Amino acid sequence: MTREQLEAAGYRLVGNVEQFPARIGKLVRLGESEIAVFKTTNGELFALENRSPGPRGGTIVDGIVSGGVLYDPICDWRIGLADGAVQAPDCGQVAVYPVRLVDGDVYIGRP
Amino acid sequence: MQQHSDRQRLIVVGNGMAGINTVEQILKLAPEAYRITVFGSEPYPNYNRIQLSYVLEKSKSIDEIILNSREWYAENDIELHTGTTVTHIDTAAKTVKTADGADTPYDKLILATGSRPFMLPVPGADKQGIVGFRDIADCETMLEAAGKYRKAAVIGGGLLGLEAAKGLLKLGMDVTVVHLLGELMERQLDPTASHLLQQELELQGLKFAMGQKTEEFLGGERVSGIRFGDGSTLEAEFVVMAVGIRPNVELARASGIETNRGIVVDDLLRTSAEGVYAVGECNEHRGVSYGLVAPLFEQGAVLAKHLCGVDTAPYAGSVVSTQLKISGVEVFSAGEFMDASDLTVVRMHDEWRRIYKKVLIRGGVIVGGVLVGDSSQSARLQQWIRTGAVMNDEYHAIVMGAAAVSAGSGVAELADEEIVCGCNGVTKKMIVEAIRERELTTVDEIKLTTGATRSCGGCKPVVEQILKLTLGDKYDSAAAKQAGICDCTPLSRDEVVTAIKEKGLITSKEVRYALDWHNKEGCSKCRPALNYYLGMIWPQEHADEKDSRFVNERMHGNIQKDGTFGVVPRMYGGVTTPEDLRLIADVAVKYNVKLVKVTGGQRLDLLGVKREDLPAIWSDLGMPSGYAYAKALRTVKTCVGSQFCRFGTKDSMGMGIVLEKKYERLDMPAKFKMAVNGCPRNCAESSTKDIGIVGNEGAWEIYVGGNGGIKARLAELLCKVKTDEELIEIISAFMQYYRETGKYLERTSDWIERVGLEKVKAVIVEDAAGRKALADRMEAALEQVREPWQEILDNPNLRERLFGEIRIPAGGPKE
Repeated sequence: MTREQLEAAGYRLVGNVEQFPARIGKLVRLGESEIAVFKTTNGELFALENRSPGPRGGTIVDGIVSGGVLYDPICDWRIGLADGAVQAPDCGQVAVYPVRLVDGDVYIGRP
Repeated sequence: MQQHSDRQRLIVVGNGMAGINTVEQILKLAPEAYRITVFGSEPYPNYNRIQLSYVLEKSKSIDEIILNSREWYAENDIELHTGTTVTHIDTAAKTVKTADGADTPYDKLILATGSRPFMLPVPGADKQGIVGFRDIADCETMLEAAGKYRKAAVIGGGLLGLEAAKGLLKLGMDVTVVHLLGELMERQLDPTASHLLQQELELQGLKFAMGQKTEEFLGGERVSGIRFGDGSTLEAEFVVMAVGIRPNVELARASGIETNRGIVVDDLLRTSAEGVYAVGECNEHRGVSYGLVAPLFEQGAVLAKHLCGVDTAPYAGSVVSTQLKISGVEVFSAGEFMDASDLTVVRMHDEWRRIYKKVLIRGGVIVGGVLVGDSSQSARLQQWIRTGAVMNDEYHAIVMGAAAVSAGSGVAELADEEIVCGCNGVTKKMIVEAIRERELTTVDEIKLTTGATRSCGGCKPVVEQILKLTLGDKYDSAAAKQAGICDCTPLSRDEVVTAIKEKGLITSKEVRYALDWHNKEGCSKCRPALNYYLGMIWPQEHADEKDSRFVNERMHGNIQKDGTFGVVPRMYGGVTTPEDLRLIADVAVKYNVKLVKVTGGQRLDLLGVKREDLPAIWSDLGMPSGYAYAKALRTVKTCVGSQFCRFGTKDSMGMGIVLEKKYERLDMPAKFKMAVNGCPRNCAESSTKDIGIVGNEGAWEIYVGGNGGIKARLAELLCKVKTDEELIEIISAFMQYYRETGKYLERTSDWIERVGLEKVKAVIVEDAAGRKALADRMEAALEQVREPWQEILDNPNLRERLFGEIRIPAGGPKE
């Protein structure tokens, strides 16, 4: 999609891919939303709502990233970065925001 | 000592494992028989090709995989010409010509030129993104590609192709294996075993395009896909060719020596030219060219005996066995594997447990076997095939699992000379002798002593069985069966730490690749643990890996359940000043903290600080971090002591401050608490600390291994010392010994029960030299520590990486 099409579809430009270090979560505040953005070792970007799905609450932006999986820093649950689903044996769901790249610029859409 | 001139001249063309192994065996049999010259195209002495993957991961240097150093050649009077290619052999004049034009005469000549990967000659094969799978450059290209591209294709469903595909899959690529035939590994497996293997690999995430002939590579400069014989296409941004290897026969062929697929040799490894022999992957014996390590040792042994005039049975070919090592898939094949009318076949196919076993018998003699899903009896089966054992009820029961096989009996019948570790040519006899002579008790020790299991690790189960068999009742299976440090690896803490030191691994990525982690990216258990072990082993070389730190240690604050943080500045020995208290109060007001708490460790905790405010609050405080979040020294609790207390015999506050300032910031296996008491009343609770110090008239008592936490434990007396210097040396040595031997997250209370107080006393108290060495290593480690809050404030890049937030105001289009 072009930039115009993305913006028309409600995507917002949040920065350049270079601003996102590998395996270290970056907090993006989009209006009232707190979004945790993760770049994996092979350079893919994922955006999830910055809220732990676990019983004790907390945030997920500072979790450990392994491949396409995030280890929740509060409860150590495994969260799939692509779909936000908590992996077995635990269960739960984190809201996922779509991410698009245009010439290295990062666009985040509505969850 | 014979004069040089009296000796026959032996030239070896090829400086690899086959040629040099033959030379080594010649030197053992008749060290003075030949004047030996070796020519090698590569610029290195003989190295272990199987370990190239370590070089690629930078976990080993080229020097470390060298099997024979230049000194070895010199000591054995061998003339070595590296980087020198032999261009022609004059078999009539008995000379070889090298690229520089020189002619060198020989009496005997060994060709050991090896092989190279075969690249399919189809249109587009020269595009970028298409590699073989043989050398350093190939592996580097693969790693690089995994970072950039998603879709990979591996052409060739043999052993090499499947291992390459598995590697790319672990690197996160989407991998399709393209195979010309309908069955994977069709040269080692029958259709049933192939299909079972394919199902297992599909479960692991590999895709397959079976029965597809590669006609053309599509794309521009770089490959974008593959077109098959039936006209269909496959998207592929990266292609690995693993369709087979080709013996290097050009030199022999151009010199008029008979070649077929390989350089043709007879049962004494003789070529068609008088005095010229060929050994290893470059030759063809009875129609077979081998691409494995084990036959090379067997051929080398026959050739060396022949050249030294020692009686030898002729080489009758090798029983080739294949063991595929892919996690979760056990596949073994040896000898014949396809049904035939003259064979009796014993077969067992358990579809529920996905196990398939097959033994092939001709005239009562076992001639081959296939095992899928359970290869525990592979060593035995191979032995039966090699020796032409006759099938009987007992063997049938053993291999088909009907009888309870006593542990280790599988290797009891292995012949002494049987090569157990094909990678390093280690025989059963060598292992047994090492165990007996050096009183070895673990596979790790066997690896260090003999080299067995050092390379691919495939022989580890057999080595373990030999250990069991040799030690008998003394074998401690509990010790041998240590669980891995996490689900990513079967290796124990000690195995990992030993390997890090031995192989010189510096980053946790190197560790995970070099030690073949199932999950190459690691998990929340091993990532922080490896980061600790590496920092402990390489205090100067290892750069701390922030992405492998738990949130608290990454952000240098204690995360709370609402996503805010607690900030605890240092208050050495629990002593502060009015000015510091005022400053803490002002900062707490300025940042609107939710609560100020006096902690159990004698300091103040500011709770409810926003993540983004952390650097600013540190800056305003201007105090060092109290490490209230860390696997490191937390506080040194003190009583009032002799400065004020009527009972105080020692200056506990003064000593506490000295200790806290000395040992702060250093990473430990787990959190570490200390206390100093000025008298036995124990107001600072020395009895429940990792190290508790109690002063009395004229001496300090040192207690260790106490814990007031989940598993309460009273500290035990380690020793008494008279002076402050002795006290500090003992503490340094104790902490360093714990750092070097503790498992990550293991508190001293557990560690001391595992190691034993007596052992700790022997190391720390009784061995003065050892104590000093530990204390010296502690000093070296302490030199590397830095104040983390200030470091983040001083380093804008680091601050941005950890704390930088992106704010996009609301109200864009459509909002």
